[in-house]
Amino acid sequence: MNIHFRTLGVWAAGSLLGLAWAARATALSDEDFNAMKEQLTRQAQRIEQLEKLQAAPTNTAGVVQPIHPMPPVGLGATHNFLMVGDAEVQFRRVEGQHGAFTLADFAPIFLYRASDNVLFEAGFDIRLQNGSTSLLNGRTHDSGAQTSIGLSFAQLDYLLNDYVTIVAGDMVLPLGTYSERAAGWLNKIPNDPLPRDLLPGSGIGVQLRGTIPLDMSGQLFSYAVYGVNGPSSMDGSGAATTLDAGSNAVPNLDLGGNVGLQSDGTTGNLHGSPSGGGRLGWFIPWKAHYDLELGVSGQSGTWDDAGNRRWSAGVLDAALHLSPYFEVKGEYIETRQETDDVGTLRPRGYWIQVAYKLAGLDLDLPLINDLELVNRYDVLDDDMGTKTHRYTVGYVYYFSNTLLFEGDYNFVHSDDPAQAHNDVVFQLAYGF
Amino acid sequence: MKRVRSLNARGWGIVAWAATVVILASMIIVARAGDGKAGQSKALTGEDLYKISCNRCHAERYAREFTPAQWQTLMTHMRVRGNLPATQTKKILKYLQEESGN
Repeated sequence: MNIHFRTLGVWAAGSLLGLAWAARATALSDEDFNAMKEQLTRQAQRIEQLEKLQAAPTNTAGVVQPIHPMPPVGLGATHNFLMVGDAEVQFRRVEGQHGAFTLADFAPIFLYRASDNVLFEAGFDIRLQNGSTSLLNGRTHDSGAQTSIGLSFAQLDYLLNDYVTIVAGDMVLPLGTYSERAAGWLNKIPNDPLPRDLLPGSGIGVQLRGTIPLDMSGQLFSYAVYGVNGPSSMDGSGAATTLDAGSNAVPNLDLGGNVGLQSDGTTGNLHGSPSGGGRLGWFIPWKAHYDLELGVSGQSGTWDDAGNRRWSAGVLDAALHLSPYFEVKGEYIETRQETDDVGTLRPRGYWIQVAYKLAGLDLDLPLINDLELVNRYDVLDDDMGTKTHRYTVGYVYYFSNTLLFEGDYNFVHSDDPAQAHNDVVFQLAYGF
Repeated sequence: MKRVRSLNARGWGIVAWAATVVILASMIIVARAGDGKAGQSKALTGEDLYKISCNRCHAERYAREFTPAQWQTLMTHMRVRGNLPATQTKKILKYLQEESGN
């Protein structure tokens, strides 16, 4: 009952106040009335303008509205660190030998972006390899496992403008395209093509590179020009071969080159003159998954300590895609090595690889659709009496876009009996 | 009687390469002829460029695999390593960031 009285009281008070305000309203002068009228008119106009503005974006929403909200511009961190890379485990059986798990490899790539135009990137190759134990009789025996860590590349990229990037450090060299696009989860065949042994994978120096669009269809022209320390000599001389610790003759050319730091701690390039090189590339797409890429690249410089003997390399590369399922690519590699004792050597070789994804057959079979067949033919002639041909037939099974199971059989023919052994390789590779 | 010379390994290699070039050239011509869009100059979208550029070196990486900030780092890396021009890199990056869902 008390509540009802209280409610009625509040209602009555409100009514009185309302009446009082109403009485005040009726007491408005004409001047006040006109002012209020003007204000209402202005507000009506503003509402009309706002409605127009609101209606405008809905007409183009289907064209430009992003599916997901974009990150706010200017508020994000400028620095970003990211680790990508790949990992592999490999089983191999060589004809006449025991089969074994021959490789466990972890190859991270660290990417550190300092701003929109500065990126540092470094790639490592960390792998388990067979260990070696020294015995009391002075001999050694393979046993256990050791971990090796190799620096594949470590380079700073400075994007100077839209057409020029400055690269410095231990750079992956643009000799052909294989090295720059090689990783366990990218290669359709685990082992590298034979003639890639004729080329250095990376070099220490400086590079300018860039890409220029040629038209609106996606056609591109790319260039790279660089200077690096270049290859060096194992024993310092310009002889074609040198003797290793076991008194075996081995090639004297060291493609790994030197880094300007000598064994006695002093600095200086051992052969004094750097090597120069570069690549020109032309990419012609005509629609998605249909494209052709052609490239020509090379490097030249001295390799012996005296700086009298020149080493040069030339590479022609090509890649063709006809549909999302068919790919063919290859490289022709030729090198020239001047020597003190056997004149100019001309080691050379080529490889061609064809791959077809069975999903292109549209058989609607999950296992078949995830399979890709691969063939490769590669040849290496060292110009010192050994020529090796290898034919590889294999497959890639895609568990996912970055988890691959590969299997290959290599038919090997070589003038060197030690190399002429067929082998089978299986590899599980994961890209992350 | 005139002696017929047989081809040596080098000769067969040249023949094989010539045949390969001819076959590939004809495949390109056929593919281009069958594509009505050949030669058209239309501005390509980020999605178009993503399909053209990424798959030629590696299996497709999906937009949702990385955050927008990570995509920016990755695309800077790919611009250098994959020889992508600046304008195309920006378009592909925008597409991947919008689709990343983060």
